[in-house]
Amino acid sequence: MPQQRGASTEPRTEREPADDRAAAVDAEGLRLTYSDGTEAVRGVDLRVPEGEFFGFLGPNGAGKTTTIKVLATLLAPTGGTVRINGFDVTERPRAVRSTIGYMAQETSVDEELTAAENISFACEAYGVPRSERADRIDDLLDLVDLADVADKEASEFSGGMKKRLDAATALVHEPPLVFLDEPTTGLDPKARNRLWEYFRRINDEGTTIFLTTQYLEEADQLCEQLAVILDGAIEARGSPADLKREVGGEILDVELADDARERAAAIARDFEAFADATVDVSDDGITVTSPVARQYGTDLLVALRDAGLTVTGFNVRAPTLDDVFLAITGEELDRETEGSA
Amino acid sequence: MSTPTDRPDKDLTRSRNSFLGDAWVNFKRWNLKAVRNPFVLVVSLAQPVIFLVLFTEVFGNVAGAAVNQGIPGISYETYLVPAITIQVALAAAITSGIGLVNDIENGMFEKVLVSPMNRTAVFLGKTAAEMFRIAIQVSIILGLGVALGTDVTTGPAGAIGIVAVGMLFSLWFLALSNSLAVLTRDQESTIIAANLLQFPLLFLSTAFLPLDSLPGWVQTFATYNPVTYGVDAARSLMLDRDVMTVLDVTAFGGTLDGVIPGVVVLLALDLLLGAVAVFLLSRASSSQAR
Repeated sequence: MPQQRGASTEPRTEREPADDRAAAVDAEGLRLTYSDGTEAVRGVDLRVPEGEFFGFLGPNGAGKTTTIKVLATLLAPTGGTVRINGFDVTERPRAVRSTIGYMAQETSVDEELTAAENISFACEAYGVPRSERADRIDDLLDLVDLADVADKEASEFSGGMKKRLDAATALVHEPPLVFLDEPTTGLDPKARNRLWEYFRRINDEGTTIFLTTQYLEEADQLCEQLAVILDGAIEARGSPADLKREVGGEILDVELADDARERAAAIARDFEAFADATVDVSDDGITVTSPVARQYGTDLLVALRDAGLTVTGFNVRAPTLDDVFLAITGEELDRETEGSA
Repeated sequence: MSTPTDRPDKDLTRSRNSFLGDAWVNFKRWNLKAVRNPFVLVVSLAQPVIFLVLFTEVFGNVAGAAVNQGIPGISYETYLVPAITIQVALAAAITSGIGLVNDIENGMFEKVLVSPMNRTAVFLGKTAAEMFRIAIQVSIILGLGVALGTDVTTGPAGAIGIVAVGMLFSLWFLALSNSLAVLTRDQESTIIAANLLQFPLLFLSTAFLPLDSLPGWVQTFATYNPVTYGVDAARSLMLDRDVMTVLDVTAFGGTLDGVIPGVVVLLALDLLLGAVAVFLLSRASSSQAR
């Protein structure tokens, strides 16, 4: 199991120690209790250093969006302290607002305005100097690939185009920190890849990114550090590699007929080499998670055959973030529109 | 991954916005939206125009007689045009809340809240855009009235006065419409609630007939109906005489006795309902957990 709020026990070699960099997001003991008594966020500590691509994961209703709204000054915390780019969210909300970009979970564009007008409005809202506006609008339209429809009303756009326009309007003021709340939900794989490319690029240029996503593959591809929230509290944190390591070895998937699964699981649990392994019954067979899954996998298959069970397929693989998520939350991340990205 | 030198310069708070600048940005946005969606503009004009034509054609003879008992020698058209300007202001103000609900629904409300713009300036800009639109619509009705052969007795200054009365009148209903929008957060409820108010307010006033010729209970309602004060002020300017019968003021002499009391009542109402709307809006946009 991943450790509670633990950094990896192994030394981090791939990056400089986080604490040398100033914090873009610094939350201590963040709490948010709604007026009806619902404790949406229960004492969350988060520190995201400048320049990091940070992923914030959790099942629906775990507190992701509530947390992001507090960080973006849309909700006042009911406890704890939150500093964004050095400014306290309750004391200096307007300073915070002018130094962050925010892309809400629901696409937010004015459909009666054209793409260029939407970006222009955002430029003015964020005080982009008049002399820079025209260039900024052109650059952003190019970046999100909407230059050829710049003067079309957003009501004519597809969902993906609106999302991209929304992303562009969040970046007009070149904010050093951007909050992206499930930016690619509902997009087709092509549109999603295009946004990923775009987020990577602005991150390469130094922008700190705070991302929530339903797609674990997205987090794996993009994020340097992750935190998993469950029921309003952080359950695990670390780099994707750290978290996968903490799952504990590799995973052997064995496909079996329905009636053979429980017996197979019992045999695997009694198997000497897998004494410390985690054995689960899955949808189509059993899974064995063990540091020695690869070495002794074939021996287990032989043992299953000797017991008269028919193995219809097998595979040894490295853990994915899905396995991490399953281990932490006990449930698979629900995905309404899982694409094949 | 990141090199600190790549960072934008350290003046992190780069918003150069001023209060008036923020108001102006929103004024422009809402005007642009109004131009993009001329349907709303046309419909909120069409209904009052239909009223003007139907009422003068159907009730002209009957109502004209009733009007002439109090004010001899004027046509029913002339009597009606100031009332229609108030109806236009009312009909246009209804749509204000719908714009707000739309913004809440499509995320623009939140987008504005997360920006560094001054929130008061944001709503001021929206309101100014709507009052600007109302001024244009009232002017169109006056122009139409002149084309139909009516006469603004007080001349261009009086016409500007009627436009000003229309704007002043619209403000309390704008505030009401936005309050309904914040409370219901639902487009249809806002439209229905605002429309439901429109006809009783119009008919139970001095808009279409003089106070004396209305039944007793209607007279009572009309006495406390803001529409009466807007209509009487506009009509006094139109006819260049004090036609306000609900309040008997003689302190200013002549036409102004009919205009100033109406203006004062409308101002007080604007302040009251404006305060309610500001309270509801700031509660909705404050970063308190609901």
